[in-house]
Amino acid sequence: MWGEAMEGFFNISLVVEALPQLLTRLHITLFLVVAATILGIVAGIIIALLRIYRIPGFNQISLLYISFMRGTPIIVQMFIVYYGLPAILSSVGININRWDKMIFLILTYGLNMAAFLAEIIRAAIVSVPIGQTEAAYAVGMTRLQTFWRIIAPQAVLMGLPSIGINIVGLLQDSSIAFLLGIVDVMGKARAIGANTYHSLEAYVGAAVIFLVITLLLEKVCATIERRLTMKIIGD
Amino acid sequence: MNFDVYFMLSALQESLKYTWVTLLLAIVPFFFGILFGTVIAIIRFYRVKVLGELLQLFVVIIKGTPGMVMLLIVYFALIQGFDTISQTFHLAVKSKDINLIYIAFAALTLTATAAISETMRGALTAVATGQYEASYSVGLTKRQTLRRIILPQALPVAIPVLCSNLIGLIKGSSLVFMISVTDLMNAALIPANTNYKYLEAYIAAALVYWVLNVVVENIFFWLEQHLSTYKREVLV
Repeated sequence: MWGEAMEGFFNISLVVEALPQLLTRLHITLFLVVAATILGIVAGIIIALLRIYRIPGFNQISLLYISFMRGTPIIVQMFIVYYGLPAILSSVGININRWDKMIFLILTYGLNMAAFLAEIIRAAIVSVPIGQTEAAYAVGMTRLQTFWRIIAPQAVLMGLPSIGINIVGLLQDSSIAFLLGIVDVMGKARAIGANTYHSLEAYVGAAVIFLVITLLLEKVCATIERRLTMKIIGD
Repeated sequence: MNFDVYFMLSALQESLKYTWVTLLLAIVPFFFGILFGTVIAIIRFYRVKVLGELLQLFVVIIKGTPGMVMLLIVYFALIQGFDTISQTFHLAVKSKDINLIYIAFAALTLTATAAISETMRGALTAVATGQYEASYSVGLTKRQTLRRIILPQALPVAIPVLCSNLIGLIKGSSLVFMISVTDLMNAALIPANTNYKYLEAYIAAALVYWVLNVVVENIFFWLEQHLSTYKREVLV
């Protein structure tokens, strides 16, 4: 009787059954993570540079932006983008009601990531000693050359570990994207739960996938970090 | 664009009424997280056999599971597990009699424990080995060393990270609407369900979260200054 009851409560074979179905939606989750990371890095570098070169007025705006993005839950940001962006754009005559939901998600996660990365990138660039810049100028490099050849490679090494942590964080945050109705790993898990009345097994399956991808991502980040260190500094 | 400021203000009022729920959902897991997390960190730091490795596995698994997934797993496990037990023993209580906030506490505490244990482990590692050697050499026991020498130095190091842990918990607690606990976000959304003014409701909730987290940040900044007294004396 106990065994039977236990079977009804948690059936490991249902987890195994759910896994291949969940994996068919993994590309949606990964696409969101990759697209948002690219947007986040590009926007993050722009914000960081504007702050470092002290563009007038921009400093306050970017500080406010970063503070807001770090101080509010991503779920709230997601719905503000989802409801707010069409409202703002429709007032200037642009209709985006037919946009794919994925675009709103990439925007939300990318802009959120940008706020976190901007501070990391800024700290990494500032951490390169001023002597490096002076030395580059002394040998006749231009400002742009100095940045790309001397400062950027050293800053990348400094910032890489934190960027890796943020990408893993983004992957974990992507677990709420299904609330907007896209069918990624979590969306599929919810659907399986609704169809089979075995939500627990479906979500445990999703947890397994997230765990494995997290560990893989951490491994990849560590490898890239090691390779880049070898390449830039040498052994 | 028609943005209803008055509705936003009334949603703001609603969410302020339930801000204490959000605070409770963050502080209770934070407290237990520090308690369990510190113990886990110390056990792992001293590389206790078997137990240390088991706890490492626990931390890796919990940290690799997103908060949302953790909440849903704990929810379904407790609800279904509870009904299974009460059916087996023919008990009168059903899972729907459980206050759902306890489920939220359980899930958030698990997440917090794993995160804070890493914070504390990092802080313990940050204390120089010379400090251990010095205290052993003057005859302090392991326990005395930990309590009187190491932890007072590790705590200021941990404070900024604990601050982001707490902010993460405040933000993470917004997920409890999934299991229909009314926190500040859900309170703002309830009036919006009748008139679909969700944008106003979410902006109201965002404002409360924002202010809350800025206040928390400032408290921890003050705490850090305060706790680093030892450090400053040494440096001067």
